[in-house]
Amino acid sequence: MQLRHVLTELRIGLRRNLTMHLSVILTLVFSLFLAGAGILVQREADVAIDELGNDLQVLVNLCTEDDPTVDQGLENCAGGEVTAAQQERIEEELEASEEVESFSFQSKQEGYDRAYAQAERTGDAYLFDVEDPVVTPDTWPAGYWVTLETPDEADGVISALSGLDGVSVITDQREALSQIYGIMTILKYGSWIGAAFLLFAALLQVANTIRLAALARRREIAIMRLVGASTLYIGLPFLLEALVTATIGVALAAGGLAAFLHWGVEKGMAEQVTFLPWVDWSDYVQTLIGAFPPGIVFLGPALTLIPTLLLTRKYIKV
Amino acid sequence: MIRFEKVTKRYAGPGKPALDQVSIDIDKGEFVYLVGTSGSGKSTALRLVLRELRPSSGRVHVAGKEINRMAGWKVPRLRRQIGTVFQDFRLLPNKTVAENVAFAQQVIGKSRREISRVVPETLDLVGLKDKGDRMPDELSGGEQQRVAIARAFVNRPMILIADEPTGNLDPATSVGIMNLLGEINATGTTVVMATHDHGIVDQFTKRVIELEHGKVVRDEAAGSYGFQH
Ligand SMILES: Nc1ncnc2c1ncn2[C@@H]1O[C@H](COP(=O)(O)OP(=O)(O)O)[C@@H](O)[C@H]1O
Ligand SMILES: [Mg+2]
Repeated sequence: MQLRHVLTELRIGLRRNLTMHLSVILTLVFSLFLAGAGILVQREADVAIDELGNDLQVLVNLCTEDDPTVDQGLENCAGGEVTAAQQERIEEELEASEEVESFSFQSKQEGYDRAYAQAERTGDAYLFDVEDPVVTPDTWPAGYWVTLETPDEADGVISALSGLDGVSVITDQREALSQIYGIMTILKYGSWIGAAFLLFAALLQVANTIRLAALARRREIAIMRLVGASTLYIGLPFLLEALVTATIGVALAAGGLAAFLHWGVEKGMAEQVTFLPWVDWSDYVQTLIGAFPPGIVFLGPALTLIPTLLLTRKYIKV
Repeated sequence: MIRFEKVTKRYAGPGKPALDQVSIDIDKGEFVYLVGTSGSGKSTALRLVLRELRPSSGRVHVAGKEINRMAGWKVPRLRRQIGTVFQDFRLLPNKTVAENVAFAQQVIGKSRREISRVVPETLDLVGLKDKGDRMPDELSGGEQQRVAIARAFVNRPMILIADEPTGNLDPATSVGIMNLLGEINATGTTVVMATHDHGIVDQFTKRVIELEHGKVVRDEAAGSYGFQH
């Protein structure tokens, strides 16, 4: 097969349908940008849940050697560092509670790391980094992440745990978090629904472009078939056109998302809202090439190549 | 080279079949006229050979292969062994004569060196040596049909199929085209030509297969068109 000939055909094809290709690219860029933004929001929710727990979770801190709650007049930690027996008793209570779906243990080091990450964002990391710091992994409380069955039924287990020896503070951020996650869910599905409509429009435009191109080339195609050109050879210019459109669409959408992440997130929201962890460039990479939900690098070509394959089969079948 | 075994072809819709239990056997190197009134099924028979159509029943063999059930991806290879010429020439208007002929080689992946060797040779054969740079619309009908024949023959097919190749041409020009088809036949290429041109068939005596309402009603080794028409 002659590369030169194929490239010539490709150039002619792109020029012949320039306005159609431009409109496909525009639609594609916006739909892929929205799809990508939706993925970023989803990943934002993931990183936030990773650090702050989800809106079904409460954190039950265990007593430390020198627990601050003792100074506040609470009795639970009077015995100092939580003992194995106390811990066993707490786990029994968690297992028995009907409000609890599951729970997992968080070691001192893990809790310290999370707090450190948060402090880094809010500019309080110096508290951890000074010489002879007040907070060290050793003095940080271990705890249990308790996941509830339903978001608004926790009173029973919280009051039961509050009375147990070895339980220090119970952190319950469900209300604030549930609002944040609610907004994220709306943003995520909102952008995906918008993306779906635009992707559908892109699909129709691709189909239309191919129909016009096949019409414009129908004499040539008829002769190619007659003299025995392979289906691949006849269809290749169509596929390459689709690939070029997709590549340009993906590149522009990726650029748009990068700009959004840099100016909108890093230099924008992340500086304003410091208590939330924010998506970073590794999430951006996932947005481009992630497997699920499919990154826009796969989404774009799939959207142009699949209809092209189906339609060229119809228009140029031997 | 071409064999029809009780081939019936029914198009969608009601009505009689376009071909009805047709059995034909054409040997390598033969020159055969397919004659009959308009609508008798000549074009249908030719399209079955190209596998542009499939028979409703019966079998079509081309070059020793039964092509009815041939896989789709093998069809291009079949068609490379068959050259085709039509009444309406079907040249690409935006390509020169030489480019039109070369196109048939390019699209099946022939090298540029081979193309630049074979195309002038073939144009010479059809008597258009000096007209390679012309555009099709600068040529007469007879010359355009010569270009079409050059394109059909440029890959040296085993079979040449011609569907009323003289249908748009005056008698004098038609004679020239027939001589050319005779030359191509003389190289060993099997030629099947559908026509209802009495003068031609009677003048260039060859085997005649006559169709009527989709049935073979006559198959004569050296026939004339016949008096009934
Ligand atoms: N694509 C088609 N769809 C339906 N009927 C067709 C089609 N092509 C041909 N026919 C019918 O089949 C019969 C034979 O046609 P054709 O093979 O073209 O005859 P000829 O070439 O001898 O004039 C005619 O009755 C014609 O109307
Ligand atoms: Mg016909």
